[in-house]
Amino acid sequence: MKIFRLVFTFFRIGVLTETAYRANFFIQLFQSLLELGTSLAGLAVIFTYTNSLGGWLPDEMLALVGVYFLMGGIISLVIQPGMSALIDSVRDGTLDFTLTKPEDAQLLVSIQRISIWSLLDVLMGIGVLVTALILLKQSVGPVAALEFIIMLMAGGVIVYSFWLILASLSFWLVRVENLLEIFQSMYQAGRWPVSLYPGWLRFALTFLVPVAFAITIPVEALTGRLDILTLLGAMGLAIALFIIARVVWRLGLRHYAGASA
Amino acid sequence: MTPGSEIRHLFRLYGQQFKTTFASMVQYRASLVIWMISQVLEPLIYLIVWSTVSNGSGGSVGGYTARGFAAYYLVFMVVNQFTYTWIMWEYEYRVRQGYLSFALLKPVHPIHSDISDNLSSKLLTLPIILIVAGIMALIFRPTASMTLWSGLVFIPALILAFLVRFLVEWTLALAAFWTTRVNAINQVYFVMMLFLAGQIAPLSLFPAWIQTIANILPFRWMLGFPVQLLLGQLTPVQTLEGLVAQVAWVIASLVLLRVAWRAGVRVYSAVGG
Amino acid sequence: MAEPVIHLQDLCKTYRVPEREPGMRAALGSLFHRKMKEVKAVDGLTFDLARGEMVGFLGPNGAGKTTTLKMLSGLLHPTGGEVKVLGSIPWKRERDYLRQITLVMGQRSQLVWDIPAADSFELNRVIYRLPVVDYQRTLKELTDLLELGPLLSKPVRNLSLGERMKCEIAAALLHRPQVVFLDEPTIGLDVTMQRRIRSFLSEYNQRYEATILLTSHYMADVEALSRRVIVIHHGKLLFDGDLAKLVQKFTAHKTIIVQLGDCSADLHSYGEVINCEAGRWTLRVPKDRTARITEKLLADLPVIDLLVEDPPIEEVIDLVFTQGSS
Repeated sequence: MKIFRLVFTFFRIGVLTETAYRANFFIQLFQSLLELGTSLAGLAVIFTYTNSLGGWLPDEMLALVGVYFLMGGIISLVIQPGMSALIDSVRDGTLDFTLTKPEDAQLLVSIQRISIWSLLDVLMGIGVLVTALILLKQSVGPVAALEFIIMLMAGGVIVYSFWLILASLSFWLVRVENLLEIFQSMYQAGRWPVSLYPGWLRFALTFLVPVAFAITIPVEALTGRLDILTLLGAMGLAIALFIIARVVWRLGLRHYAGASA
Repeated sequence: MTPGSEIRHLFRLYGQQFKTTFASMVQYRASLVIWMISQVLEPLIYLIVWSTVSNGSGGSVGGYTARGFAAYYLVFMVVNQFTYTWIMWEYEYRVRQGYLSFALLKPVHPIHSDISDNLSSKLLTLPIILIVAGIMALIFRPTASMTLWSGLVFIPALILAFLVRFLVEWTLALAAFWTTRVNAINQVYFVMMLFLAGQIAPLSLFPAWIQTIANILPFRWMLGFPVQLLLGQLTPVQTLEGLVAQVAWVIASLVLLRVAWRAGVRVYSAVGG
Repeated sequence: MAEPVIHLQDLCKTYRVPEREPGMRAALGSLFHRKMKEVKAVDGLTFDLARGEMVGFLGPNGAGKTTTLKMLSGLLHPTGGEVKVLGSIPWKRERDYLRQITLVMGQRSQLVWDIPAADSFELNRVIYRLPVVDYQRTLKELTDLLELGPLLSKPVRNLSLGERMKCEIAAALLHRPQVVFLDEPTIGLDVTMQRRIRSFLSEYNQRYEATILLTSHYMADVEALSRRVIVIHHGKLLFDGDLAKLVQKFTAHKTIIVQLGDCSADLHSYGEVINCEAGRWTLRVPKDRTARITEKLLADLPVIDLLVEDPPIEEVIDLVFTQGSS
């Protein structure tokens, strides 16, 4: 479909933009590897004192780390740059250019900026995930694998919709970047299974900032911990949030264009 | 100027800086809230993770029970807040934008305004952290066997910890004179601090060789040491050794600072500012 | 007569802005009750543009030019009145409509900063779904007309302001829009570049019969485009007609600014005295007598400094306003 051509073109521009700064590749590689090393070393320290963290085995924790980097990589690759650019463009008026193009504006703003080096994180995450799967040895059956993929996609849609809703608030409010930074700080909590945290924190990480849906829940699907209620709930939430995000976006556009309420 | 009037001048500078810092903090209160969330969240996460480990390992790990971990990390949260600096990013920003020229033109060494800015902002953030730590204490119910003398010695140890951390990080901030890749340098620094300051786990949980490295490097003396001291986990001899190490690091970093500053200013002026 | 390409009828745009007195009490009071003021950015604008017309939309800052342009390109919803472009209602932002128009904004760029302009062009090619052959042809024509050759492979951030503007215009015209909106395209550019861009627009208009609406507060922009000019001020249409008539009517004068020691002298014999401030006299004199009057001033008076200017646009507008619409 024509959408894929558009996505590919923006991707290409992202590559062209970033490769203009070649040194960034090595710096980014270094930083990503350092982050991965830190996570793994942290796990190593924990697991010298126990062989199960709240019921999670080392290899399952490894899978969690993999998804943490995979999801984090996707967010820094396409979601965060685009939404950040959206907020800027509302402020400086360059959104006008997007709005005079004969293409759905939400699509354009969502893929308008690709931070190509974050692919390193994505690849790293996949690598760790695959390693964890091999180590787990247990048959990750086709059902669990399918559930995992669905939960990963649902998590992605939930995070995207969440970011779009917050970014759209910039049509009405100023300094919305701060709200988005809260997500970044709370995303750190996703390094560990959300089930470890006390109720109030678990609630915050599920329904206030959808970290649980991004990381813990897909891995729960993979490791056979997922119950059907959570599965359906996540799918439902993904669809609902996507629709809400679209509505908020369109309301924001109308406000921007000075349409009467 | 007489020494007396010099000191009074410094006092006035600090007072003025406090007003400026306060005004800008009110202005940027949203980013302040975000920062405080991460300041609280990180030790909280380690608290919870280690409590889980200890609960699942028969109640205690390396001498710490779940409530022992609570005590450790809540004190850590406060000590971290007290010693915290963001000076590396400050200098990267200043060098990049060319604002450093203004600082270099003033008759007072820029480190003074940096210290006073740092302390001024903590006058506001520390009470908040203490309140949050207090609330967390109600939830997690920490326990520790504190003693009077360790509580008293804690105060100078805390001040020394702040000095060590500030001076080391200020010196590190000067790397901005030579490179724009400050983020990568900072990341290495923070990873080392994560493991060697007693942040990801109390240092006593690490194998001996790591603890030795931690004793040589400054990180333990910035954070882990005062925490262990307050919680009554150190003998008087160990405490004395720690204080000596802190003083040694203050002196070492002062020397390093002077050298780096002179070299840095030369580089900066050569490039044209 | 054929249906006009651009049609405005009593177009209005009113903003509600919060109004507040300075001071503490008013600040506190505004927490409870916000006083709103209605600002009429565009007030009953009516005009038509036929196909292939090039029109200069002239007015001082804040006159309502940009607001009108935004309503024509679909970026703003009007508060009242009627607007139609190419038979479509702009604010509905129909895809087919957007494919036929383009917007160039003088102080904002749609080009991607770190990569060569050619790659930004590619992006537009994909967005507008241009067949490769057509795209190549249009690109070649634009490259020739605008002398873009060596610029296309340089990263946009390495281009000068004028070079960037040329690329900006090219990017906007790749899809051969029938209607071109330009908002202050020559602002900030040096005189040579301004002239080049004006001549390009003129040529483009003749070659492709595109309807071009260009806003400006530079008299020179309008003079160079030498067709119809619409003057707007305080959101109201003040003049709509031949530029020749406007020029003849209102710029038959020049302004002479003379710096003397003080304001005590009487300069009425030299020309119409507009004002005097701290020895800086502003005189209005007939255009054809400017040189002679300047000579006399320099000979008769202890002139510290002297400057000859075209009447500022505000003055022309004021004149148009006070003398009513033609």
